[in-house]
Amino acid sequence: MDLPIRRLSGKAASARLSRVPIPSMARGEPWTPPASRSLSGTSPPGIFIGRYGYPKVNVGPLLPPFHGDTTLLDLPEAWLDFDFPEIIAFRFSLVRGMRRMAVNVSEGGRFLDQLQELALAARPADLELAFSRSPRGGMSSDRVAQPFGPSAPLLQMGTSGVKTDARLERVWGDGDLRAGAAILRLYDEGVEVSRIVRALSAGVLGLEDGRKLVPTRWSITAVDDALGHRLLEDVRTLPLIDDFRVYESVRLDNRFLVLLLPRVWSYELLEAWFPRTTWNPSTREIAMIGDSEGYRGRKAYASIRGCYYAARFAVAEALAREGRQATAIVLRETHPGHFLPLGVWNVRENVRRALHQPYMSFPDLTQALSYVGTRFEIPLEEWVRQSAVISFALCQRRLTDYPGWAG
Amino acid sequence: MFSAKIRSEVLKEITDVISTLVDEAKFNLAADSLTVRAVDPAHVAMVDMTIGKDAFEDFKADEGELGLDLDKIKEVLRLARAGDVISLEHDEDRNRLVVRVGNITRHMALVDTAGMSDPKVPNLDLPAKLVVRTDELRQGIKASESVSDHIALLATPDGFEMVSEGDADSVRLDLPKDLLDELQSKEKVRSLFPLDYFSNMVKALSSAKTVTIFLGNDYPVRIEFGLAGDAGNATFLLAPRIESE
Repeated sequence: MDLPIRRLSGKAASARLSRVPIPSMARGEPWTPPASRSLSGTSPPGIFIGRYGYPKVNVGPLLPPFHGDTTLLDLPEAWLDFDFPEIIAFRFSLVRGMRRMAVNVSEGGRFLDQLQELALAARPADLELAFSRSPRGGMSSDRVAQPFGPSAPLLQMGTSGVKTDARLERVWGDGDLRAGAAILRLYDEGVEVSRIVRALSAGVLGLEDGRKLVPTRWSITAVDDALGHRLLEDVRTLPLIDDFRVYESVRLDNRFLVLLLPRVWSYELLEAWFPRTTWNPSTREIAMIGDSEGYRGRKAYASIRGCYYAARFAVAEALAREGRQATAIVLRETHPGHFLPLGVWNVRENVRRALHQPYMSFPDLTQALSYVGTRFEIPLEEWVRQSAVISFALCQRRLTDYPGWAG
Repeated sequence: MFSAKIRSEVLKEITDVISTLVDEAKFNLAADSLTVRAVDPAHVAMVDMTIGKDAFEDFKADEGELGLDLDKIKEVLRLARAGDVISLEHDEDRNRLVVRVGNITRHMALVDTAGMSDPKVPNLDLPAKLVVRTDELRQGIKASESVSDHIALLATPDGFEMVSEGDADSVRLDLPKDLLDELQSKEKVRSLFPLDYFSNMVKALSSAKTVTIFLGNDYPVRIEFGLAGDAGNATFLLAPRIESE
């Protein structure tokens, strides 16, 4: 099968994804976890660091019960071209081995060394796992992190021929480089966000003495936040765009619109969840939730959490690439087909894709908004009513509007 | 040339007021005063401040300008103890500000002022004028913060009101004429403002017991207040929010 793939860099770009073994579940056949206490396969590579019980958490590898080029199973950057059944199959095929351990890397030992090496792997790595019982459980989902399949307590892990990514290896070896700076360096070197997240969660970044395992969920948002924050320091100094733009991406029964206005940086993510979607169990009401920031950013953690920082990073990345500044409003309408939380990659990659595509250009906000109104099921008035940033742009006067102004 | 000594609480007050709107500012120097005029990046508000030499323990300056990173000034202020006098000196050869507090000396790189504008204050005809206690304004803001993102300021011949209306709740502060130090308003005027801007402005005032507010109908508000006793004064301008469209 021929799988279209976009926007990859580095080694993954050349990964021969066409040879990915697709579990039978993707073909509509039921898949049962291996009823065995041992498992042999090729890890994408993938690891998962839990957060319950912090600072003692369940950590371990993610491993499918087959061999081959499994890169795709833990590479969300490549998933937008797939649909729910395939993505679910990718993830459900990953068995999670778990061992409870302290997050302080200095207390890690041999098992952690192996896990860290796996997290830095440049390509899929063969693993042998031994469990204390056969893996069980259905698909687990963490909202922010990608879902995964059954799990089992891990007794032993055997790895062979793991080849580490040189860029990750360098920051691993640099105990004087702070985690924040390491994240930025890796990004600048073209390492995919999902690999940076994996490295941060594996405790291979940061000052030598303070290295800790970071729960996968926290790691994802920490990376989105750090990258967005850094890119925005530059974006705030750039000239404004000249027009009012609307970008769009429709995937996985989500519609994302990104509205860019020729004004200084300010940002909002506003989501509308239809009844019976992941975050809205109600059967009658559409749920809308949003958060925003002004030119100087926000201090309090955004109430919509990980998605907020994922979309902000994607917007900041696009503005930095173009060398322009804008006010950005990301609007998301999630329809009933979106029934399972897939993780914030869905937001990050949808917004990235939208911003890579041709956009509609308008001379003023009113016309841009009219167009937005034609793209959504929810009426425009409702979006405008709910959006702090749109209403600011429409209603807030500026001192430049008054006679005698000279700036 | 610039060389000055200033009490830490006065420098803090000056810094707090300017940093309400900007992170970096151009300080214009003259023989007997220092002035700052800055507009926030969204062009919604501006500050116009003059600090006379009497606000300083010591002040010597030629005409000139200094671009300062206000976050760095705040870092220095965090090192100061109550009553400390901070010394500021422009090292022209190396284009930096030498700041001394207690036994600490900080060399502070100056910010390039080339990109910083010299905004002119717009001409605004504001029919109502009133003088209100700062702590009353703070109360009104505190009451509004959980209700709405906006606040309406109203002046009538009989008093001053602050009103916030949310989806479900509303809150209002009423100050009849006898609770105001001054009130001149021939008719009712009302303008609506973004609460975060207004709140940050009022919170930045530390020594002014009262402020003078000039108000119109759906028009910017001008807020005047003293700094460092009466050795300085400042004006905030804030553009309104117009909801009728």
